[in-house]
Formats: sequence, structure tokens, C-alpha cells
Amino acid sequence: MNSTLRFFVWSMNLEVAVMNVHWIKVFVAALFEILWVIGLTHAYDVWTWAGTVLAIVISFYLLIMAGKTLPVGTVYAVFVGIGTAGTVVSEIIFFGEAFQLSKILLILLLLAGVIGLKLVTEDKVEEGADS
Amino acid sequence: MAWTSLIFAGLCEMFGVLMINRLHHKRDWSSFILLTIGFGMSFILLAYAMRTIPMGTAYAVWTGIGASGGAVLGMILYNEPKDWKRILFVAMIISATIGLKLVS
Repeated sequence: MNSTLRFFVWSMNLEVAVMNVHWIKVFVAALFEILWVIGLTHAYDVWTWAGTVLAIVISFYLLIMAGKTLPVGTVYAVFVGIGTAGTVVSEIIFFGEAFQLSKILLILLLLAGVIGLKLVTEDKVEEGADS
Repeated sequence: MAWTSLIFAGLCEMFGVLMINRLHHKRDWSSFILLTIGFGMSFILLAYAMRTIPMGTAYAVWTGIGASGGAVLGMILYNEPKDWKRILFVAMIISATIGLKLVS
């Protein structure tokens, strides 16, 4: 009994660990997304442009890999949320962009639309994939 | 000019995603070449737009056009559900984009 329970707990932990690995891919993908957006705006020579292209490739690759195991709509919603928040925050903190409340609110409205769309569409896509 | 190029960047991204779907079905080189051109153009136009439009705004609008365009295309081409929620979200994205154009 004790060993059965222990195996159960162990396998649950393994399950959580495996899911975490996939979610970590989503977070790292979003981080590279922020990097290439910064690169696209601020790259100035061959090396920074090469870095930007590399960040695009890594970001897309990780996102596609994560989408193979996790629900795609949720993955994209989280990804785009971090990406948008990250670019807005980093342009204010690192690049001296003015904090404009109306702009932030409109970006939040836009983000809510994108996330809502992705989460609503997900059900349909998953049903489609099953049938 | 920057806003026009930003909107075209979003449309090119949408086209690129459409070509990814076509590549999954047909597995031909023309889909692959078209998707490379689509995403390539999208990034070039986005980079151009970002010279004048702040990075965070440009990025948000770019993903917004990609997402809402994808949903509208899906409704038209693939008979995806046209329920009120999806139409509301698309309307939110479009009005936020227009608002951002006005306040910037």
C-alpha cells in the first residue's frame, strides 16, 4: 500500500515536471519574442540583425514545440500576453518611451481581444483535431 | 506611411500563417516559398513601421491584425463558427487599433 502510494505520488510529480518543461518552453519563447521585437527596432549592424533573426527562429521553434503537447490556444494566449507586456514595459524602462495611460489601456483592450479570440477558437480546433 | 506598412505587415503575417496551413495539407515547395516570402515581408514591413511607431504599440497591432485576420479568414474560407464572442473580440482588436492610431 505504502509503495503504491509512493509510486502514485512519484508519477504525479513526474507528470507535473513534464508539463512544467513544456510551459518553460512557452516562457522562453516569449522571452525571445521580446528580444526580436527589440532587435527589429534597435538593430544597427550585421551582428545585431543576425541576433534578431536568430531570436525569431528560436522563438517560433519553441512555440511550435510547446504547441505539440500543450493546448495551442492557451499557449498562444500566454505567449502573446507576455510578449506584448514585455515589449511595452521594456520600451518604457530601457528605451525611455513615455508612459501614456490611454495607449496602455488601448493595448490592454487589444490584448484582451487577441487572448479571447485564441481561447474561444481553441475548443473548436481541439474538437476538429479529435474528429 | 508607417501605419500603412504596419497593417500590410499584419496582412503578410496572416498570409504566412495561411501558407503554413497549406503546407500541412499539400506538402509542396510553392507553399514553403510563399510562406517564407510572407513572413519575410512581414518582418521587413514591421521593422520599417517601428522606426516611427513605438515598439510596444507596433507589436500589439501586428499580432492583433494577425489574430483577427486569421479569425475572419477562417470564418470566410473554412466556415468556422461566426459566434458573437469571436466577432466581439475582433471588434475589440479593430477598435483598439484605431484608438492607438489616434492617440499616437
